[in-house]
Amino acid sequence: MHWQIFLQNVFGGIETGSLYALAALGVVLIYRVSDVTNFAQGEMAMFSTFVTYTIWVYSANAGFPYPYVAAFIGALIFSAIFGFLVERVFIRPTSDSSLLGKMIVTLGLILIVNGSAGAIFGTDSYYMRRAISGHIRVGNMIIRPHSFFVIGLAIVIMLVLFYMIKFTMFGVAIRATAQNDKVAKLMGVPTKKVTAFTWIMATMMGAIAGLMIAPATNVYTGMMADVHLKSFIAAVLGGFTSFVGPVVGGLMIGILDNLVGYYISTNWQTVIVYGFLIIILIFKPYGLFGEIPKKKV
Amino acid sequence: MAIMKLFNNNPYFKYILGTIIFMIIVFIDLQIGLFASRTVNLLIRVVYFSIVAIGFNILLGYAGQISLGHAAFMGFGAYLTAFISNNFGLGFLPTIILSGLIPMIFGIVLGLVALRLERLYLAIATLGIGVTIEFVFREWVWFTNGFSGARLSRPEIFGFAFNNSRHFLLLATFILFLVVLFTYNLIRSKTGRALSAMRDSNHAAQAMGISLLKYKLIAFALSAFYVGLAGSLYAYAERYVHPSTWGAELSLDMLAMVVIGGLASIGGSITGAGFLVLVPRLVQDLPVIGGITNINFILTGLAMILVIRFMPIGIYNWFDYKVIQPFYYKMLNFDDPGGDD
Repeated sequence: MHWQIFLQNVFGGIETGSLYALAALGVVLIYRVSDVTNFAQGEMAMFSTFVTYTIWVYSANAGFPYPYVAAFIGALIFSAIFGFLVERVFIRPTSDSSLLGKMIVTLGLILIVNGSAGAIFGTDSYYMRRAISGHIRVGNMIIRPHSFFVIGLAIVIMLVLFYMIKFTMFGVAIRATAQNDKVAKLMGVPTKKVTAFTWIMATMMGAIAGLMIAPATNVYTGMMADVHLKSFIAAVLGGFTSFVGPVVGGLMIGILDNLVGYYISTNWQTVIVYGFLIIILIFKPYGLFGEIPKKKV
Repeated sequence: MAIMKLFNNNPYFKYILGTIIFMIIVFIDLQIGLFASRTVNLLIRVVYFSIVAIGFNILLGYAGQISLGHAAFMGFGAYLTAFISNNFGLGFLPTIILSGLIPMIFGIVLGLVALRLERLYLAIATLGIGVTIEFVFREWVWFTNGFSGARLSRPEIFGFAFNNSRHFLLLATFILFLVVLFTYNLIRSKTGRALSAMRDSNHAAQAMGISLLKYKLIAFALSAFYVGLAGSLYAYAERYVHPSTWGAELSLDMLAMVVIGGLASIGGSITGAGFLVLVPRLVQDLPVIGGITNINFILTGLAMILVIRFMPIGIYNWFDYKVIQPFYYKMLNFDDPGGDD
C-alpha cells in the first residue's frame, strides 16, 4: 500500500525531527540568553552519550536490574554537571568578547571535547540499545515502540520547557535576560545564574537527543555531526527569536529528509533538502516564526 | 633608525622585507636541506591558508559579511584545477586564474543570497550552502571523481617543472606576496573604503551613496576569488583532492584564522593561518605530553579560547597595539605611527 509507506516515512521523519527540535531548542536557549552560537552543542552531546554508554555497559555487567534506566539517569546527572562546568570554565570568562569571539570559543570547545572523547573512549563505534526494543507490524508498516518513546519524551520535555518559560518566575528571568541582560541585571535578575542554568538545560537536552539518536547512528566521536548541523538549520529555519520555530523547523527537516530520500534520491537527499530550506530562508530571512528586528541607525 | 623610517615611509617595505627574508631562508634550505620535507609541506599549507585568510578577512573584517560556506569555494578551486589541468592541459598560470575566476561567479550568487540575510541567519544559511556543495562534490563523479579523489601532475611554468616542494614553496610565497600587495592597495582604494563604511553602518554607507548591492557582491566575489585561488594552490601542492576535505570544519577554521589572527588586517590573516596550521603540529612535538592521544586538538582548542580571552582583538592586532606601536612612538617620537591595517 502506497499511503502506508508514505505514512511510515512521515512517522520516521517526526521521530528524527523531534530530536533535531530538541537539539535546536538547546542551541536557541543558549543563543538567546548568553549570545553564544554554540557550535559545540553536538560534540558536548556526543561526549554525554559516550558517558551514558559507559554507565550502561558497566551497570549491565554489574548485574544491575535496569541498566538502561541507570544510564538514562546517569546521562541527566552527568550532562547537568558537564553543562555547568563548560559555562563556568570556558563561557563565563569570555562573556565580554564579541559575538565572533564567542563563536571561536565554542570552536575551541569542539576541539577540546572531541579530542578528549577520542583520547578517553577511543575512535571505535559502539552499539547502543533502543529504549524499548522490538517492533510492531501494522499492515505493511513497521513501527518501533522506541519511536513512540522518543516522540513522547520530546513532547514532554518541550511542554515542560514551554510551561517554564511562559508561566514561571524563572521563565520570566530567562526571557528578561534574553531580551536585555543589562536591564535584567539592574532589575535584580540573577543573570549569571540564569545563564548557568540555561547551559545546564541545553546540555541535558543535547544529551537526551544524543542518547535517543545513538541506536540509529551508533556511539562514536562523529555521531552528532549530522544531527547538530540539522539542528542549527532547524533553528534558523524556525527563527532564532522564537521557541516554537525550532520545533517546527526540526520536524520539517526530519519529514522532508525522509520523503526526499525515499521518493527522489538518497544520494542527492541532503542537497535537495538543504537547497529547499535555503530557498525558504531567502523568502523569509528571519525564519518562519522569527521576529523581524527593528533597526536603529 | 634608518630602517625604522623605511618601515614607516614605505608601506610596502615590511611586506617586501618579510617576503625576501622568508624566500632567502627557503633558498638556503634548498641548498643545504635545513628543514625536513614535512616542515616544507607545513609551510606551503601556511602560505595557501594565508591567501584563504586574507580573502576571508576582506569579507568578514573589511566588509562585515559572514560566510561559513567558503570551504566550498576552496574545494571548487581545487577541483577546477585538477579538472582543467587533466582535461585541457592548460599551464599553471591560466589554471590558477581560472580556478579563482569561476568560484568568483558562484561567490556573486552567494552574495545575492546574502543580500536577504544577515548576521547569524547568514552564517547558518551559508553553512548549509557549504555542506550542500560538499555533498555535490561527493556525488558529481564526472567532475570530481567522487570518493576516489582527483589527481593531478606537478605544476609547470614556461617549461620549468616544480618537482621539488621547496621550489613550489618559493612560487607560492611569491603568489602570496602579490596577493598581499593587491589587497593592501585594494583596501585603501575607493572600493576598500566603501566596504569598511558598509561594515560600520549600512545606513550611513547608503546615505553617502554607497550601493550595498554592489559592494556586498564585490566582497563576496573577491573573497571567493582568493579562496578559489588558494584551493588551486592546494591542489598543486597536495596533487590529490578528496571530497571530505571541504566540509563545515574547514569553513569554521577559516573563521577561526581570521578572528584569532586579527580582523581587518593582512598581517593578522597570515598570523591566524600560521596559528591554525602550525600550533597543532608544534604541540605534537612537545616533550612528555606530546604523546597523549589527541593532545594536539585539545591544546589547540585551549589556545584558541585563551587567545580570545586575553587578546580579543587577535594576536597580530594585539601585538601591533601593545608592542609595535608603542615601540614606534618611543623610537621616532611620532605623534601617529600611521598605517591603519
